[in-house]
Formats: sequence, C-alpha cells, structure tokens
Amino acid sequence: MSKPDDRKLIERCIRGDRQAFESLLLQYEKPVYNAAYRMLHSPEDARDVTQTVFLKVYENFGSFDPSRRFFSWIYRITLNESINWLDKANRLTSLDQEAADKGRGPEQQAGAEEISKGLEAALMTIKADYRAVIVLKHLMGCSYGEIGEILEIPEKTVKSRLFTARQLLKDELNRTGMH
Amino acid sequence: MAIDQKYIDLINADIDGEIRAADKEALAAFLADSAEGRASQADMQQLTGALDALEELEPPPHLRHVIMNSIPPEPRVRQSGSFLSTLFASQALRYTGSFVAGALLVMSVVGSDRISKTAFDDVSGLVGTIADPEALGPANDKIAVTQNEVAGTISLRSAGSMLVLDFDLVASEEIDIIAAYRDRTIWFNGFAQLESSGTRVSAETGRIEFKMEGKRRYAVFLHNEGDRDTQIDLKFMSGNEILHQASLTYGGAGE
Repeated sequence: MSKPDDRKLIERCIRGDRQAFESLLLQYEKPVYNAAYRMLHSPEDARDVTQTVFLKVYENFGSFDPSRRFFSWIYRITLNESINWLDKANRLTSLDQEAADKGRGPEQQAGAEEISKGLEAALMTIKADYRAVIVLKHLMGCSYGEIGEILEIPEKTVKSRLFTARQLLKDELNRTGMH
Repeated sequence: MAIDQKYIDLINADIDGEIRAADKEALAAFLADSAEGRASQADMQQLTGALDALEELEPPPHLRHVIMNSIPPEPRVRQSGSFLSTLFASQALRYTGSFVAGALLVMSVVGSDRISKTAFDDVSGLVGTIADPEALGPANDKIAVTQNEVAGTISLRSAGSMLVLDFDLVASEEIDIIAAYRDRTIWFNGFAQLESSGTRVSAETGRIEFKMEGKRRYAVFLHNEGDRDTQIDLKFMSGNEILHQASLTYGGAGE
C-alpha cells in the first residue's frame, strides 16, 4: 500500500528528481511486476508492461491528483496497461486455454505445486476484468474499498465481480480436475 | 437445495475479512444448520487459500536499471550533480586521486607504448579521476545494453586529449567486459568508480578488462593525443559465453 512519504517523493518527482523516482520504483517495482505477471502469465510481457507503467507514471506526474493515493493510481495504470497488452496481442484465448487444458484428469490428485500451476492457468481463462479483481484482492491484498478506488467501480460491483471470478475459477479447476 | 445467494455473499465476505458483526452471527447460525453451506465455505476457503499462496516473483534484476535508463534526463542535472562531479566532490576520492596520479606517472614511463605490452598491469582498486567534468561535453557516442544478464548504458565523451568511457550498468551475475581498440597510440590513463570497490579492472595496450556484478558506475580515461578518430569494441562475457557485443565510435578532430 501507499507509504506516508509517497506524497513527498511524488512532489520531488514532479520537480524532475530522478532519485525520488528511483525510490518510488524501488517500492513499487515488485508489486507492479507481479500484478502484470498475474494478468499476462508471461515474465517477458510483465517486464515490458512494468517498464511502460513506470514510464507513464514518470511522464504523467503532472496529471496525478495528489488527493488520491499513489498506489491506486499506479495499480490502475498497471491493470489498464496489462489489459491493453492483452487486447493488442489478442491473447485472451488460445495460448492460456491450452495451458489450462494441460491440467490433470479428475481421477488424479494434484499436488500443491500443480494446484498452483493449475490455478495460474485457470486465471488466464477468465476475463481480464475478473482477473483484475482477483489480482488486487489476493496478490496485492487490497480491500473491497481499495479495489473500488483502483478500478473506479462501486464496492458492490467489486464484491459481485470478485465472487463471480472465484466461481469461474472453481469451475475451471473442476473442469481440469484440479479442484 | 441451492444455497441462498445472501449466504454465499456472506461466506465470501467472511473469508475476505469484510463481514459486519451482525452478518457474522447470521452466517454462523446458517452454517450450524447447513452441511451444504459448510461444504461451500470449505470449498471457497480452499480456493482463496490457494490464491493467497501463489508465489510472488522477483522482477528481473536489471529491470530497475533499464527503467531508470529509459526515463528522460533530469532537467536540472547540475543541481543534483553528475557522476563525474560526484566523484570530484567526494573527499575520499580526492585522497585517492593522488594515488591515481602516482599510478599514472608510473604508467607513463613503462615502455614505448606507455604501458607494457607484455605485462598485464593490474590497476584494481584505483579510484579517482584526473578529468575535469566541466570540460566534458555531451556524449560523442552511447550504447544501451538490455540483456537479461547485464543492462544499462555506456557512453563515450571527449575532453581535449582525454576520452572518457562512462559505464552505468547492472549485472545479475559476475560478468567480464572487454573494451578493445586498435589505435596503439591511445593509452589507458585512469579509472574511477563511485564505489571504492566492486569493479575490478585490468589494462594492457589496446585492451581493458572489467569484472563486475550488481549495480556499478565507473569510468575509464584514455589518453588520445592528437584527438584521433577511434573505435572501441565492447564485448560482454559470462564465462566463455558472449552475451553482447557493441562498439563506440569517436570521430576526433585530429590526424
């Protein structure tokens, strides 16, 4: 989550202080990279999206609303960039469906590592909007309120989207014998 | 019988730690009477537990450096101080500067090529600079390296009869960098780094080798009497494997 000194760092960034930017990068590089990775399921794509996110942040400090929390801004950029990336590459289907299909049959019991791999693959079969709430909730540890702030949707929508996402994941895991 | 959506929502909210006290009591009462509800709760807990347990990944080690190198330069560079200015400003480096001067004096009397052709002059540990940063203009040439094992930039500047190779790199493992040039009238004239250790350097005529790991910033000074055109070929190695090759060119004004 946002650290209390984010605002000071941002003020310095707006003045063109590269060191301040590097401090923000240090704090947010890992969560941004991980969020992108969970959205894209590719280390290379996650790396490229992370780079794009930080460039956008750097270029758009001027338009950042200081009354908002920095983490919600950067996570929103991350998710939007990831979704744009998916759209551009038209990757919403085949590649990851294939990965999901590699799951074991229902008669076989999956180990913890396989469950994790199956879950990662299953995540890629659900719509990016649903995946985004899962990433924010389970990877970034955001509350319903924070997810709503990041995605700019009402809390009620967050809940229903999250529950639907989980149900879809459960269905997919059942289908591939992982659950 | 299907579970009422209200209780499904409560089960989810409870698992997420976002249930109100009154709703928690209602949920507890429901679960006490419903085996199906308890099964659904266990099922959801298993799923969310697995999601929470997904391993966090470390970003590639060079990513931060690549990002920093890709953002536009700071508008007020002089206020925060350039690398070379920083080197001058450091008290410790002023002390070691005299050591470098001594080393340079030694090198200047070794052999006709200024540095012995046969001996591998180990200049490890030299820290300091004899270049005047104010006299350094913009980079004459610059390359970016974006390999998984090593990333960053190397720029070439000139200051009178001095060429400065400025390395700003990060390496995820120990790598060797070989800088080679054909013009034997150009000779190694000093080495400086922001850290007092970390990069090892060896020099002989026409060839300088560096060994580094992690994030490093250092500079090499070459004496280029006559301001001659030259090309410096760089090879990045991990063991015997060539990771990357590139060249820097200086188009001097001299002969």
